[in-house]
Amino acid sequence: MSSPPRVLAFVSRWSADREGQDAAIRAELRGLGAELVVLTHDGVWAFGPDDRIERREIDVAAVARQYHVDPECDALVVIDEHGTTRFSHRAEGGLETELATTLALAAATARSLSPALVMSRRAWLTACLIAGCSLAVLGCKARGRRSSADAPAPAPRTAREIDIALDINGVRRELRVEPRVSLLDALRERLALTGTKKGCDAGQCGAFTVLIDGRRVLSCLTLAVMAQGKAITTIEGLGRGDELHPMQAAFASHDALQCGFCTPGQICSAVGLLAEKHTKRTMTDDEIREEMSGNLCRCGAYPNIVAAIQATHKDPG
Amino acid sequence: MNPIEYIHPPDQAHAIAAASAAETHVIAGGTTLVDLMRLEVIQPTAVVDVTGLPLRAIAIGADGSAMLGALVTNADVADHPEISTRFPALVEALRSGASPQIRNMATVGGNLLQRTRCPYFRDVATACNKRTPGSGCSAIGGFTRSHAVLGTSVHCIATHPSDMCVALVALEAIAHVQGPTGARAIPVEQLHTLPGDHPEIESQLRPGELIVQVELPARPFAARSRYVKVRDRASFAFALASAAAALELDGETIRQARLALGGVATKPWRAPEAEAALAGKRISRDVFARAAQLAMDGAAPQPGNAFKVELARRTIVRALERAGGLA
Repeated sequence: MSSPPRVLAFVSRWSADREGQDAAIRAELRGLGAELVVLTHDGVWAFGPDDRIERREIDVAAVARQYHVDPECDALVVIDEHGTTRFSHRAEGGLETELATTLALAAATARSLSPALVMSRRAWLTACLIAGCSLAVLGCKARGRRSSADAPAPAPRTAREIDIALDINGVRRELRVEPRVSLLDALRERLALTGTKKGCDAGQCGAFTVLIDGRRVLSCLTLAVMAQGKAITTIEGLGRGDELHPMQAAFASHDALQCGFCTPGQICSAVGLLAEKHTKRTMTDDEIREEMSGNLCRCGAYPNIVAAIQATHKDPG
Repeated sequence: MNPIEYIHPPDQAHAIAAASAAETHVIAGGTTLVDLMRLEVIQPTAVVDVTGLPLRAIAIGADGSAMLGALVTNADVADHPEISTRFPALVEALRSGASPQIRNMATVGGNLLQRTRCPYFRDVATACNKRTPGSGCSAIGGFTRSHAVLGTSVHCIATHPSDMCVALVALEAIAHVQGPTGARAIPVEQLHTLPGDHPEIESQLRPGELIVQVELPARPFAARSRYVKVRDRASFAFALASAAAALELDGETIRQARLALGGVATKPWRAPEAEAALAGKRISRDVFARAAQLAMDGAAPQPGNAFKVELARRTIVRALERAGGLA
């Protein structure tokens, strides 16, 4: 089961003269199999699948931002069952006179992008009839301008982004990401903190280990949005200027790496390990191996990694 | 990964309301869900982040019981000294699971609901009745080293992967659940369902129900409990076979026993026949071997995992020996 596609109509003005449009609007909505949400300055109405007309309390400006719609200009956006924007049209001439033709354009575009978007459901038919009537109640004013069916549609956007703030190595970083973006991708691809490595991207290799509130975690399995309000430390944040963190220095002096790809994760994990076991006076090599089992090294530098951790544990710098 | 909507409810009531929606998944540690979303095995349209809910406490009862908040991490349970003394099998199970990083992230509630590691479930290019009902089972007739021999059906032989759940079943833990229609208490033993004709259904939780706490009741066998896990690697691997054993002893006589198995069954597996056979007996290797035999009666192995039947018997004996102080 998927949530139904939605048509978001951002409408700044409605008035009475909309002759002949209602039948066309109904037909196009039926073709799209979509819920229609009309967003006006006076309120938001949703025409749902269960015969309900619902007045919704929605921050229109926020929704407009979310879908990158200019609040000063009418627009029509089609969201598919996955929440992906499949069609977005800026109606320069006002949507009230262009709704039917814009919907036709939306249907044509959406059909070419996603055959699954076009479905015929009896529930939608009912909803669309209600939608048509309600639009008539809302009324509209003729503006006389119509978009042509061959007008180029903007490239579909893949998702809604949200503004987040992350505390990384003591610095507050603000960025806009989709909720599906991992902390790892936010670090590497948005903030240019490429010290944290993308190994398997599935939590199995440990190359993407970072510290959150002092504890080692996997940045690939952490959504960036969920890391807000926490202290994130990456390999870039361990040293002080040119001065290496004692664990970094120990990895260098013990030759605890070969290719170096897993090393940032190994070092973050080792720092986390010593923080977690700070009360333990000594650790055996086997204990260290067990505690470091979440970090793989394909070069096989394990003996020297264990030696570097032992050295740092005994002399924490 | 498909686009998702992120919902961050301010309180439990809102979390339940949000989680009741179709195609919506609760997210806490994310160690299962983010992985499976990236593989497109699970494709929710929205995730409900419950990590803001006040469910991070470990409460120790004067009677020897304990209450674990659903958001307590696996590491925090394992590192709790009172839990270690009162419920050693649970701590051994948690420490044997995953990696330190994952234990720092994974929560009690999430561990209870973690998904199978069946490679066919995780590979969208293969048929899997659990992932796509009615599509078939690629594991049956496939490479089955990791698969179940107990509780299987003709539609699914996927192994339940959790170590923690096996210990919880032996310790008679209870999952406390809140949902749209109120609260329920579900023994962990009954929380998970057998694959049967519907492998896609894995627990008896209803839409919108949240696990909020796990109760560890005071039981006379809890302190004498052990967990033994056998795996392909020394660490960071799922169980080929595991056993949680708990004994209440009167001298060398077993008053009562609890035995649960992991790595070999489609759900955390309790072995009541073996438990009954142990009650009233003097501890000995022979008694334990007899119980192990009973526990694996009814095993239905595939050609690729027949070794698990004997492996599980030996794992059971080892766990009972450790619980009984023989090893």
